[in-house]
Amino acid sequence: MAVRNFLSCAKYLLVAAGITGVGGLAFLYSGIYPMGADVPHNALTYWGLETLRERSIAQAASDIKVPKDLDSAERLLKGGADYNDMCAGCHLQPDKTQTDFTLGLYPAPPNLSSNGSEHGHDDEGEYAQQRQFWIIKHGIKASGMPAWAPGHDDERIWNMVAFLKRLPGLSSEQYQILTARGENSEGHGH
Amino acid sequence: MKIKILTLAIAVSSLAFTLSAQAHAPSEHMKGAEKPDCAAMKNMDHSKMDMQDPVMQAMMKQCMQGMQHDEASASDGHEQSERGGHHSDEKSAEHKH
Repeated sequence: MAVRNFLSCAKYLLVAAGITGVGGLAFLYSGIYPMGADVPHNALTYWGLETLRERSIAQAASDIKVPKDLDSAERLLKGGADYNDMCAGCHLQPDKTQTDFTLGLYPAPPNLSSNGSEHGHDDEGEYAQQRQFWIIKHGIKASGMPAWAPGHDDERIWNMVAFLKRLPGLSSEQYQILTARGENSEGHGH
Repeated sequence: MKIKILTLAIAVSSLAFTLSAQAHAPSEHMKGAEKPDCAAMKNMDHSKMDMQDPVMQAMMKQCMQGMQHDEASASDGHEQSERGGHHSDEKSAEHKH
């Protein structure tokens, strides 16, 4: 009797799984899901994608060893110049609240010149630095965030993490001085 | 023959890889690079500046070269004006004689 019930239950489950699979495929091929960046995901899809992203990064970044000299002036200068050239267009700089990129990108890139509590990602503690390093190095699929590993070694990426650590407290004048690569600078060691 | 083709292929792919890495070299960003606005440091509240703070150390490092240059040119100008002053004094003294 128990075996018969189990088989019957399994049969229903298989049928349900089949219907779900066929329904899912039909939905994918129907083309009805709005793919434009100007139409936000529904809450369920957003939650699902965000959870998938954060769990994946947490799992991949947890073993990364953070250098002990992140608070060095040398790293700030090297990382600042790179941030200004490669990141500020999307992740902004002090006293700027938007650019053409931030207006159009979805999901909107976090404003890294503001505090973690404002953009929703913790920016203090070891995990914050592991996470930032991993994201800069590997990028994030379908978000507009590229992987910078090709052409940028780990040291250069850690320099950017060092700069990100101090970015939220910088004034626009401090930002300008730290990120300029011009003649007055000492060449940032390049 | 096959070895030659293989060698050539490796050489070309190595060159392509090297060039792609160079495209992201910091020196590529130097063209038209902005200069640090060190004059802004003079307007900052110096009493709140902590010289142990890496941000402050980095700013000093950025501006040190320019400041030294400014100081050198200022002292040169001062010396020149002093010399010019002496010269005119001498001239006037000579004139008086």
